Amino acid sequence: MPGFLERIAGKLKSYREPGYYTKLDHKWTMVIDLDKCNGCEACVVACYAENNLPVVGKEQCEKSRAFSWLRIERYVEGEYPDVKVKFIPVMCQHCMKAPCETGCPVYATYHNQDGLNVQVYNRCVGTFTCATYCTYDVRRFNWFTYKWPKPLEAQLNPDVSVREMGVMEKCTFCIQRIRSAKDTAKDEARPVKDGDIKPACSQSCPTGAIYFGDMQDPESVVAKLAKSPRRYRLLEELNADPSVIYLKRVMGDGTSSHE
Amino acid sequence: MKKLILYAVVGGIAFVIGYFVNDQFFSDRAPVQPINFSHKIHAGDNQIPCQYCHIYAERSRVSGVPNVKRCMGCHQIIKTDSPEIQKVASYWDKKEPIPWVKVYNLPDHVYFPHKRHVRAGVDCKNCHGDVASMARIEKVSSLQMGWCLSCHTKREVKNGRDCWTCHK
Repeated sequence: MPGFLERIAGKLKSYREPGYYTKLDHKWTMVIDLDKCNGCEACVVACYAENNLPVVGKEQCEKSRAFSWLRIERYVEGEYPDVKVKFIPVMCQHCMKAPCETGCPVYATYHNQDGLNVQVYNRCVGTFTCATYCTYDVRRFNWFTYKWPKPLEAQLNPDVSVREMGVMEKCTFCIQRIRSAKDTAKDEARPVKDGDIKPACSQSCPTGAIYFGDMQDPESVVAKLAKSPRRYRLLEELNADPSVIYLKRVMGDGTSSHE
Repeated sequence: MKKLILYAVVGGIAFVIGYFVNDQFFSDRAPVQPINFSHKIHAGDNQIPCQYCHIYAERSRVSGVPNVKRCMGCHQIIKTDSPEIQKVASYWDKKEPIPWVKVYNLPDHVYFPHKRHVRAGVDCKNCHGDVASMARIEKVSSLQMGWCLSCHTKREVKNGRDCWTCHK
């Protein structure tokens, strides 16, 4: 193999090694307090509106092609009248050792310097590999080029591109809001403050269960909450190192529950 | 077999010539505008700074096409007898915007803030060419990703090569 090809191959290989980025600019982290979550799905609606997600309809949902980047998982325990219902909001976990990144043949998904799991729509060829590898089932595939009925196209968010058929997509931690917060911070010649960025789900949550911030800043709300004894992460034993931290729900009898 | 090669060669040459002709003569590099507006007179001869009319360039994502009011601000007094100015005045009387044809058109999946570039000290000329000498505005840069990245690499923009810096 000629030298330059070897160099390219080596570089591409290094992208796939865990811990490729030894020093991150930020490490965006989400903390979800399940004790506050009451499963109202306001975050799901906000996500649909913010990120131009199509409503695919009943038929497509039956084929498990529902398009929500963020879903509320429901767990029902017990028989009526003694029923306990528990909820977990699940979105892309932005794993630091993401399984999806190892599979993509065209490098459409990679980890960037902000600790985010990036999906590049223009690169994606729709091989479905990442969705197969994903542990949390959060990647969504555009089976069709979805159209919005006539007046509704006016409510599309201009900061987010409208995806077409054959493209995989997922939660971006509202990258457009991160970008605009960085822009404002740069104009005012200061680093991004804690609380500058609020993703759509966090903004719309009526009980304020979703926190967002930079884990590298020890003074940030998320860094303090992450030290809580109630802390856990989804499927931690798989060692994907997810960036979304959940705080366990405290039940009436003083025990804590994962859901 | 010889015939096939001949066809391929002739076809190839025809394609190259066709591409060149299309690129040079038929692509809309300098579309005809509704008003024969000359940047040469305004920015060249009269030395009006770019941001006197494109006021949003320094503080917004878009540079902003000046509104008819801004034209009329000067042209209520200056050169009111010219037929082109009277066209502007007719739009002003009808209370309609002038339907300018967009020359520099970026695709929707690109996030391009004018303000970031102007504040970083990138001259308008770098991308828009020597506008002060153009009678009709003409597209001088390809606006392709390689063209963007060549400058980002040269100026060593922080995270300038990350996909999510520009794509949305």
